[in-house]
Amino acid sequence: MLGYAASELRRRLGRTLLTALGLAAGVGMVVGIIGVSRGLNDAQASVLQPLSSIGTDILVTRVVGNTQTATPSPTPTATDGFNRGGGFGGGPGFFGGGPGSGLNGADITALAQENNNVVTDLSKLGKPGAKFTHDFFLSATLLSFPQEAVAEVAKINGVAAAAGALTQLANHQTGTVPQIVAEIQTGGQTFTQTARPAPLTDAERQKLQQCFAGERSGSSPEPSPQAAPRQGGRDCFPERFREFRFSFRTPLQTLRQAIDPPQTDITSTSYTAAGIDPASPRIGLVTPDQLTKGRWLTTSAPNEVLLNAAYANKTSLGVGSTFEINGTTFTVVGIVTPTLAGATSDVYFPLATLQTLAGKAGRVTQVLVKTTGASNVDAVVKEIQKQLPGAEVVTTRSLAEQVTGSLSDARKLADRLGGALAVIVLAAAFVIAVLLTLGSIAKRVREIGTLRAIGWSRGRVVRQILAETIMIGLLGGVIGVAIGYAAAYAVGAFSPALTATTSGVPNMSSSNLAQFFGSSLPSSVHSATVSLKAPVHLATLAVGVGFAVIGGLIAGAVGGWRASRLSPAEALRSVG
Amino acid sequence: MNDDEAARTNGHVYELRGVRRDFRAGGSEVRAVDGVDMVVATGEFVVVEGPSGSGKTTLLQLLGALDRPTAGSVSFAGRDLSSLPDRALTEVRARDIGFVFQTFNLIPTLTALENIEIAMAPLRVSRAKKRARAEKLLGQLGLAERGGHLPGLMSGGEQQRVSIARAMANEPRVILADEPTGNLDSTTADEIIRLLADLCASEGVTLIVVTHSEDVARRAARRLRMRDGRLIDDEIWTRGGVPG
Repeated sequence: MLGYAASELRRRLGRTLLTALGLAAGVGMVVGIIGVSRGLNDAQASVLQPLSSIGTDILVTRVVGNTQTATPSPTPTATDGFNRGGGFGGGPGFFGGGPGSGLNGADITALAQENNNVVTDLSKLGKPGAKFTHDFFLSATLLSFPQEAVAEVAKINGVAAAAGALTQLANHQTGTVPQIVAEIQTGGQTFTQTARPAPLTDAERQKLQQCFAGERSGSSPEPSPQAAPRQGGRDCFPERFREFRFSFRTPLQTLRQAIDPPQTDITSTSYTAAGIDPASPRIGLVTPDQLTKGRWLTTSAPNEVLLNAAYANKTSLGVGSTFEINGTTFTVVGIVTPTLAGATSDVYFPLATLQTLAGKAGRVTQVLVKTTGASNVDAVVKEIQKQLPGAEVVTTRSLAEQVTGSLSDARKLADRLGGALAVIVLAAAFVIAVLLTLGSIAKRVREIGTLRAIGWSRGRVVRQILAETIMIGLLGGVIGVAIGYAAAYAVGAFSPALTATTSGVPNMSSSNLAQFFGSSLPSSVHSATVSLKAPVHLATLAVGVGFAVIGGLIAGAVGGWRASRLSPAEALRSVG
Repeated sequence: MNDDEAARTNGHVYELRGVRRDFRAGGSEVRAVDGVDMVVATGEFVVVEGPSGSGKTTLLQLLGALDRPTAGSVSFAGRDLSSLPDRALTEVRARDIGFVFQTFNLIPTLTALENIEIAMAPLRVSRAKKRARAEKLLGQLGLAERGGHLPGLMSGGEQQRVSIARAMANEPRVILADEPTGNLDSTTADEIIRLLADLCASEGVTLIVVTHSEDVARRAARRLRMRDGRLIDDEIWTRGGVPG
């Protein structure tokens, strides 16, 4: 039967090639679209992989001024939710305020408490003139909350694992302890003043002469000027001539005065710090998969850290390097390339260590959640929002929905137009194959009648037609796969650049308050430029050939049905 | 034919009773075969003559289990073909009936050998047996060297001989030939009909030939004449046909 089919295809080579090329066009389009679509998926995944790449389905945070929370929270009270844990920072309710625009009172309180150590007490850094280094840690607008939230989330049905993390904006200061108070000695000076009286008036002179004269005569009321020196005559002068020269000495005094502002040479540099749980390496802000050098943190070594590769390069630190933070020496044990776009940190500490350094014992800023299955994500999100009012919950899908840029446009185009185009082209190819097969059947009426006359059953005739069309389908599939592969190769060679911008995961700059903390905050908006490739996998090729064979099957089924309906007598009679 | 069957059929391979075949064409009904009664004995060489449109080919199709009568019965080897389902008719055609057509009706893409082999396909014969049987038949028909040739490269006579070999492939009881010499020159036609008749005689196969040719008709032991769907003459030559 196959030999017969192959012979038939050779004999009707033109029609065979035409049918095969019709199917090939459809298959080539499908293979190309699948390749481009896969390339777009890969490109999008490279932008959106942050959550999945760290073993996480859901990320829970609380950002000040969050307006994206899906469910309203009840009016917070002092004993509500996880605030019962008390401790450092945090406002009323689980995370403070509920959803809404701008800051509420709870936000303001929480914000102030989270960032109160931004004030550096210079008087405690050492003696004036001494060199110092000092690091302080801020939550910025990513508020912390009690670590009990992690355990509560872990209890939710559908949650496979949950881990807490703490992200802080660190400020590293170096400089000289400034002179804060000045002592000033005052007093002890002697002052002498000489006065030049105004000349006597005529009336004064006359009165003076009379005074002196009177003193000389002893009776005369008018004094004599010549006798004045001898008798003193002091009373004869006008009042302003009696004291015209004096001296005084000021008392000694020491004054103490605060210098505002103190003069200092302090320089500040910022970096971001994250606390991860070394005991849960599979889920965290960074995972061992992202380790490029060195080793992972050990649970028993609180003073080990991992460095972001970019930060390590910038600071010339590497595995084995040490540095000091507030008197404690830390050792770099590994270099990582974290992928949590928008929320990567420069230094990764053991969670407890960073909690201590930041003065946020028992508090975290993120809960990373792994669900038991993708189908559970929505239900878990709802339960988290119900249990943790005010939480900002991010999933891979929600991130995907936020992607903008040419990548997103291309992705939408591929989804909407590409799929439809592939279906249309494929359907057209199938229709062409069916019509050509029917045309072929019409031309083979005598042949089919003869086969039926010599004892071929309807089923055997149908199988014969199917064998032929499936072989055409295979031929079309091979040609189509070659066309699709060539198209995909061309896309890969041309490699058009696509940009993707996503709001990323919530981080310390995820609110309009971020400006208060300066430009050192990592941007939550994550942009990436990716080169579009169109990878064609074996599975794609198989799908392409499969479509062509399906097209052949459809054509064969229709053609076979038509042939099987031919009465052998009619078939022979019609060609006479 | 075994003894039981011979007893049941009185040695008749065909027995037709009141056979009628109507067709609807252009809104009116056409009676192609009208009340035919006849019997054909096993091993007989019968020709059916008559002008065009007299119902010869329709009668041949009824005999060949390609069609069912509108009325009456066509009994083949004791089985009423008019009541058999399609599958059974197909099996009868495959096992018991061979066809030879005016236009040869060979599959143009298959070689002479392959054309013979496809007739054996429904009988689940092994490839080797099919090939051996086909080669033997071609040898009997003088085409041993032409087995690998396509029909398009063969003469009309050669093609018709391949067609005869195909008809004989499954060792049928009956061979039905519709104008088997219609496309052949007289010399070749004579050669073909002689070959066909000799082969059927040697194998004990019943041969029914529809023809316009007097030369062909004269070779038959029995001549049936039809007009307007009716069998108007049934002439039996006691010596088995006119001597060539």
